[in-house]
Amino acid sequence: MKNTSENNNKENFLKEGFEGSISKHHKKYLGTGIPEGYFAESKISILAKIKEVSLLNEQPKRQLVFWMQPQFKYMVAASLVFVLGITIWMQNLDISNATNEITFDQVAFTNDILLESLLVEESEIEAFTNATLFNEVVVKAELSEQKLDNLILNSLIIEDSLFDDYIDDKFIETIIL
Amino acid sequence: MGQRIKLTNSLSKEAALVKKLQNPALKDRAFSELLDVYQERLYWHIRKLVITHENADDVLQNTFIRVYKNIQKFEGKSSLHTWMYRIAYNESIRFLEKINKMSYDYIDVIAESHLEVLFEDAYFDGEEIQIKLHKIIDGFTEKQKRVFQMKYFDELSFRQISEVLEVSESTLKSTYYTTVKIIKEKIFL
Repeated sequence: MKNTSENNNKENFLKEGFEGSISKHHKKYLGTGIPEGYFAESKISILAKIKEVSLLNEQPKRQLVFWMQPQFKYMVAASLVFVLGITIWMQNLDISNATNEITFDQVAFTNDILLESLLVEESEIEAFTNATLFNEVVVKAELSEQKLDNLILNSLIIEDSLFDDYIDDKFIETIIL
Repeated sequence: MGQRIKLTNSLSKEAALVKKLQNPALKDRAFSELLDVYQERLYWHIRKLVITHENADDVLQNTFIRVYKNIQKFEGKSSLHTWMYRIAYNESIRFLEKINKMSYDYIDVIAESHLEVLFEDAYFDGEEIQIKLHKIIDGFTEKQKRVFQMKYFDELSFRQISEVLEVSESTLKSTYYTTVKIIKEKIFL
């Protein structure tokens, strides 16, 4: 008898639909309850919160002072960009002027040197030429000659030693054979 | 035939309610109507996720505030019912994550078992069979739990659950029938 009723319970379990309300259904199967009159109170509290939210949304936006209003903001931004652009342009203009000035200075300097060179004494130029000739030609020629001699001497010494080694080896081989 | 007529009526009622909610002049009155229809269902959906009454109350309020703020964005791609369920589900998950960040002790309890939190709730007074059902459900995977609860306790259709959880209907059906079989086998052992 007990088995039959248990089987019936098994058959019926999870087959019943909601009995009246979803809350009763949860109470019956899960044992979870709620305070009495909860949904009515909760509804009032939710509506009150929503009223707060909607009031916040409805509040007129603060009137901005005239120079902070969007149309003025754009004008101010455009003016700033214009001023910045002008500044950069002016700076570039200064640089190109400076370049021109440098070029002019350089040309003037070169001309001065040319003019001064005309006024130098011939004896001074001759002395300068001789000194340059001595430094550039004679000293360099002497140095290169020395280098060449060293090279020849080195090669001779090395070659001789190699030759001697070769002769010694051949001599020993001949004796052995 | 009768069910189809009932469904059509319910959809047309829902469409009318959405229209009123999206009309600023009628919004507040329509919202009171919305609460009458969905408050209880959403509460129980949330309660099963966040376990205690106190937490469910907080999340329910947040859910309806979010619904109120975003109703203009509702495009009718799913039913209003499903859309609100998804909001409630996301709010509950967000709430649990927030609690987990705030209190490590609470995480440990949650990690051990939802049951300990549930049994400590002032609004739980389950008897032996109900505690047993909770224990069986607690042994399910998260997915099995959600599917069983949404289908059996919230009476959502597989299509609606599929929209909320973003899982195919065939997978949901198989999951649900497996859970029901397990419960039937274990409940009177």
